[in-house]
Amino acid sequence: MTPPPVEESLVRFENVSRFYGEVLGVNRVTLAIPPGITSLVGPNGSGKTTLMNLMTGLIRPTRGSVRILGVTPEDPEKLFALVGYSTQFDAFPKGLSGFQFIYSFLRLFGWPREKCERLSWRAIGRVRLNDAAHRKIAGYSKGMRQRIKLAQAIAHDPRVLVLDEPLNGLDPLVRAETIALFRELAAEGRHVIVSSHVLHEVDLISDQVILLSNGYVVAEGKIQGLRSEICDHPMQILIRCNRPAALAARVFELDSIVEARLHADGGGLLVKTRDAGRFYRLLNHIALDGIDIESVAPADDNVNSVYEYLIGGEEPGK
Amino acid sequence: MAVYKRTYKGYSGALTAAWSRFLILPRYSFGRLFQSKFLVLFLMACFFYPAGCAVFIYLSHNLSFLRVLNVQAANLLEINANFFYIYCTVQATMAYLLTALVGPGLVSPDLVNNALPLYFCRPFSRSEYVAGKMSVLIYLLSLITWIPGLILFLMQSSLAGRSWIFANWWIAEAIVVGSLVWIGVLSLIAMAMSAWVKWRIAAGALILGVIFVGAGFGRALNAVMRIRGGAMLDLAQDSFTIWSALFRLPGAGQDIDTLDAVNAIAAACLICLWLLFKKVRPFEVVK
Amino acid sequence: MIAKYWAQMRAVVRLEMKKTFLSRRGLWVYLLAFAPVLMFAGHDLSMMRTREERRAIAAAHPVPAGALLSIQPGMTREEVIARLGEPNVDSRQIRFGGGRIRREFLSYTDGQSRYVFGFADGELQSISVREEETFAQDRLIFATVFQFFFLRLAIFFGCVGIFTNLFRGELIDKSLHYYLLAPIRREVLLAGKYAAGLIAAVAIFTASAALQLWLLSLPYESSLSGHEISAYLGVAALACLGYGSVFLAAGLFFRNPLLPAAGVLIWESANLFLPSALKKISVIYYLQSLCPVVASPHREINPVLALLISSTEPASTILAVAGLFAVTAVVLVFASRRARRLEINYGAD
Repeated sequence: MTPPPVEESLVRFENVSRFYGEVLGVNRVTLAIPPGITSLVGPNGSGKTTLMNLMTGLIRPTRGSVRILGVTPEDPEKLFALVGYSTQFDAFPKGLSGFQFIYSFLRLFGWPREKCERLSWRAIGRVRLNDAAHRKIAGYSKGMRQRIKLAQAIAHDPRVLVLDEPLNGLDPLVRAETIALFRELAAEGRHVIVSSHVLHEVDLISDQVILLSNGYVVAEGKIQGLRSEICDHPMQILIRCNRPAALAARVFELDSIVEARLHADGGGLLVKTRDAGRFYRLLNHIALDGIDIESVAPADDNVNSVYEYLIGGEEPGK
Repeated sequence: MAVYKRTYKGYSGALTAAWSRFLILPRYSFGRLFQSKFLVLFLMACFFYPAGCAVFIYLSHNLSFLRVLNVQAANLLEINANFFYIYCTVQATMAYLLTALVGPGLVSPDLVNNALPLYFCRPFSRSEYVAGKMSVLIYLLSLITWIPGLILFLMQSSLAGRSWIFANWWIAEAIVVGSLVWIGVLSLIAMAMSAWVKWRIAAGALILGVIFVGAGFGRALNAVMRIRGGAMLDLAQDSFTIWSALFRLPGAGQDIDTLDAVNAIAAACLICLWLLFKKVRPFEVVK
Repeated sequence: MIAKYWAQMRAVVRLEMKKTFLSRRGLWVYLLAFAPVLMFAGHDLSMMRTREERRAIAAAHPVPAGALLSIQPGMTREEVIARLGEPNVDSRQIRFGGGRIRREFLSYTDGQSRYVFGFADGELQSISVREEETFAQDRLIFATVFQFFFLRLAIFFGCVGIFTNLFRGELIDKSLHYYLLAPIRREVLLAGKYAAGLIAAVAIFTASAALQLWLLSLPYESSLSGHEISAYLGVAALACLGYGSVFLAAGLFFRNPLLPAAGVLIWESANLFLPSALKKISVIYYLQSLCPVVASPHREINPVLALLISSTEPASTILAVAGLFAVTAVVLVFASRRARRLEINYGAD
């Protein structure tokens, strides 16, 4: 099979706005999301779920257009063959067991019984719920309900997986297994679009992040790239060396250095600079002057810092 | 052993008096209810008929106006027990529709959201809860039934003179007692349905259905079984029978015996109370 | 493509069926549907018991029918007893006016009818004959109960319960999005849900109507014609079809479908009093036109209101059936347009 053309491998938002009456959902969002794991990060009410609902046609944009791999959400027959969505709603059709839930909704695809059964068991196996498959969902724990929702979203083998807070309620072991599953799915070339408020997990799993605040996209891209583009905040760099005090005296030769702090263990120096490029060039000279430098690493190119810098004092959450 | 600092201190301020604690519930219920524009409009519509009656009473005593219209006062509908009986039946219908709108939202949201334990872990009893929720309906329904009814009665009394009030004081009693019977029945049905059917829409349909279906089934039962007692299932008919007796109308007790009507209403109220107390409790049996 | 739509519709019906037939929430629909069955069963039992009792009494104490007919008002108690013998059914005595007037009722039966002779101070004043119920009477009563209770109230409220639940119930339960996230046209989803509701409603209400018809003819040797039976069952099914579409649409268009339901109830109840042209804009007009026996509720209605009743020629069978299908189709088309634009915003429900 030939790979799809580039246009068809992106999830695109073109100048999308959505208002709920007079309340802003998202405003002027333009995005092109490539395959891999993409995390939507932002405080409560920033528009993460709205973006996901727009992607899946559960709500329509007030302005602009959304296309998922070239398909519009107005065309559910094509769209939902490509997309699986695990929503934030912790509700299920009444009276169904885990297996019946996945099987019954697979039958809506118009597929034969055998195929639906096979796909249901495969999805249930991927979230490790085989033993509980014939129990009623009403008796499941929060974590099991989260996993059965995930199984339902992946059961039809979608190319785009949209997951609203999929790690909520999972214990550490299952959380690790689920993250591994996301990686596996992303490695197969799928889009895995996740919203989460656990920032260190976002850091661990994401290929790219989209930061949202008050309905606007405030940043998007790979974390490291994002950090280097934020000029307002000095970048933090940790230098491990044998003489941190001597190093501290030298770094102030540059006027772009804002702060230099000895590391608590005495074996390093934490430097804040407004111009990382000039600082790295200076470091080459210092190394030649007899200070043994073991390692140089950015100390704040993670989601947490980016979030902190861009969204600041807003409450991190959903 | 863990030792914790004892920093928590319970509330030690003044408490709302026990007898008036149930009035806290309607305060919040009204706030929520009047957010609905439809409800406000409907409530306003409930005053159209009393306003019309007031105008009619005024005009029927305004001789110069009647002279302009060339109408004899005797030709107009007489302001008597029958006039107030008709007033009560019209307002009772509005009260019924208002109950179907307001009633379903009284208990069911607390049950759906598992809020009852929050009420009952405070110094608040089940009876106070029921009284508090019921008072929402009692206030609203009183506002459109006996209160304007009494105002109309007083208006007629002031216009017709002292002799009229001495001869007809029992009409005021009939307006108040008849309306309170109807309000009591409607409130209890609404509360019971709201407690048993968590889905508000179904509860509303049941409130409508209990009266309509009860009436229809009662008549069907009379026809099929060749009896008269089926009419007792028609709670509206029962109430109208009691009103007819209270308003001393000639046809009182024609379809159903007044005592049978009283018994039917009392039985319906007891069943509703039983249903209510079965459901309103600080725990829920999860199956 | 059509095969795929059928498969998808069947899948929706399968999912909905259990919910519609077996949910605890829907138990009251069964109660509503089968209450008339209990009523007719009670009637049959009481009628058969009375009939047996009368025949047994008449056999033990025979009273000639001619003698019973010869009794005239003005006769004394003793004269009546001389002609008919001691009363063979329970009789009673009542005193009025502080015991001054003595009323006495003597009851006899010839095995079929019950005769009650009312005496005041020993003189015959009233003769009341309660004849044995006939199939013709019960047929008319059934027609009245069917049209004024079963169609207007039982099926009406049953359809409110079943059909508004299909979309609005799922919106309230926050589970509709699972359907909207499947690769299925919203029109197919709507058709599937409507079909599921219709199957349930038709099964419940036609089963009840069939049982009522069976119980109606059980105590008699005669029974309704096949045409009449099929007409009643057909009307019950068409009522589900018509009301079902209306309430499915109400569940889609209104956050609180109770308001339109109350509106429709008032409109349908007022149908008797509406002018001829307006009568035709209602489901009940077409349903009543299809009923094999004309039932009149006029005896039950207040004489003042009875003056307001307007009579209209019933619609022909073809027109009535076509009219109901047309109304259903139009309502479903509007509902499907609404379903296409439906968004999930559970917070608002």
